[in-house]
Amino acid sequence: MRETWIVGAATNRFGRMAESAREAAARVALEAIDRAGLTPKDIDHTFVSNAFGMAEHQGHLGPLLNTALGIPEVPSCTIESACSSSSAGLHEAFVHVAGGFADAVLVVGAEKLSHLDTLTATSYFATGADFPFETRNGATFPGLYATLASAYRNAFPLPPETLAQVAIKNHANAALNPHAHFQKEISLETYLNSPIVASPFRLYDCCPFSDGASAIVVAAKEFVRRPTSTPLVVAASVRTGSIVDMHDRPDLWGLPASRRAGELAFRAAGLTPKEIDFLEVHDCFTIAELLALEDLGFYPRGAAGAATRDGETARKGRLPVNPSGGLKAKGHPVSATGVAQVVEVFEQMNGTAGARAVARTETALTHNVGATGGSCSVHIFRRG
Amino acid sequence: MGGSAQGGHSIADYVAGYTDLGRLRGFRCPCGFTTATWVLACPRCGGRNLADVDLSGRGEVVACSVQHVPSDEFLNEVPYAYVVVDLGEGGRITGWVAGVADPADLPLGTRVHFHPSYKPGVQFVRD
Ligand SMILES: CC(C)(COP(=O)(O)OP(=O)(O)OC[C@H]1O[C@@H](n2cnc3c(N)ncnc32)[C@H](O)[C@@H]1OP(=O)(O)O)[C@@H](O)C(=O)NCCC(=O)NCCS
Repeated sequence: MRETWIVGAATNRFGRMAESAREAAARVALEAIDRAGLTPKDIDHTFVSNAFGMAEHQGHLGPLLNTALGIPEVPSCTIESACSSSSAGLHEAFVHVAGGFADAVLVVGAEKLSHLDTLTATSYFATGADFPFETRNGATFPGLYATLASAYRNAFPLPPETLAQVAIKNHANAALNPHAHFQKEISLETYLNSPIVASPFRLYDCCPFSDGASAIVVAAKEFVRRPTSTPLVVAASVRTGSIVDMHDRPDLWGLPASRRAGELAFRAAGLTPKEIDFLEVHDCFTIAELLALEDLGFYPRGAAGAATRDGETARKGRLPVNPSGGLKAKGHPVSATGVAQVVEVFEQMNGTAGARAVARTETALTHNVGATGGSCSVHIFRRG
Repeated sequence: MGGSAQGGHSIADYVAGYTDLGRLRGFRCPCGFTTATWVLACPRCGGRNLADVDLSGRGEVVACSVQHVPSDEFLNEVPYAYVVVDLGEGGRITGWVAGVADPADLPLGTRVHFHPSYKPGVQFVRD
């Protein structure tokens, strides 16, 4: 296997885009390629994700993107894995580069959803669950994670307002992130005054519907002679799957795909959770951040809530979690999210994270979940 | 309606079962795994000797969330509770309970049963 690097990364500001996903994807792609010190002609393959292209009546985004970049002859394909789409694209890029099938691969995720009303967006998102066996029975995405929260809290009671602490922390991080959808802190009072979406979740337990686009360039170490930024070494790139229907799994206290992805990734990287400096995890809902920290082995089952309340996962804590603001507050333009997590690692390791910089940046982990864990990606990076 | 050449009932059979016939159809594997979800092999053990069974539709709520922001089919039903029900005979299924606004009105452990109705999905009512 060849040593594989992330050599360039770019994202736009999440939230509301005036332009289409197609235009935003091309813009961030060019920026990432420029930052890598490469040109579009160096790209051997493009993996693009745009899970809700139907919202803009546009499929087959890859060749449109490559055409806009002046490389229409370069092969491309769309990778769909619900909310883990672009980290699945990164994994495909890793396989190509590490295996010697490509020297430089572009991975892009883009989504435009803000023109949809709440009902339409909720209905589109619900297609990522099992339509006849979950959605038709009344499930929505907030509802599915909320049922996980109800079962988890029944087995491992959380002190009051623990979920709120996750939201407050991630909003505080996003307040310092110029790429974030919500660049504002929230108080416990704001949280408690927000409406219930799906009990026990209030508005501030949920990630928003965001527009956004993010891109990275994945390349072989031997291809990039003089990197223009500090590259990220891909120490592990793991994908896992599990039964889609949560209720058909052995328990409801976490995501089996995350557990397995964590184990496999730590084994591949030859590291343990104690050796990771900071992480970006899939906090689509507040409970999901706690489940992720436990599934990935950072805390025993039932212990992530207390650690959050003690400030361990804050930006200046022992283990910074979601210094970007996470899906909760940086935003969740579904297909951009997986790559955006890597952009955050890139900026942190390059010292360009500004006010939200974390103290130690030698190693980092990204965790990206497809829907309720039918798919999962875990990547571990070392500073190159 | 029979099953396909391979495997048991279809998804359409399952839907027709709960909407028109008052039946909740599912699969049971000799390994013990029981599900309503359509499969050709057991997702736990990979076995293909799945029995085509009728599920009792009776059990206990083990996870629950009161929904206030619906998807389109449930536009006129909010607030309602989305539930995961542990069936007495093993296995879990999902469904919803109408008219629940406060989660305290449907605590975990509440016993419910399948209630055929003209409304969407698998509806449960309290025993
Ligand atoms: C929570 C949710 C129902 C809100 O619906 P929405 O259509 O975004 O709500 P609205 O557009 O009516 O927003 C109302 C206000 O709340 C704000 N807001 C919306 N979602 C928010 C969120 N998640 N957190 C904080 N504020 C939010 C909006 O900015 C808006 O503020 P404004 O009035 O100052 O402009 C929706 O964001 C949601 O379902 N999120 C989950 C998405 C999801 O399931 N993703 C997949 C995860 S796996």
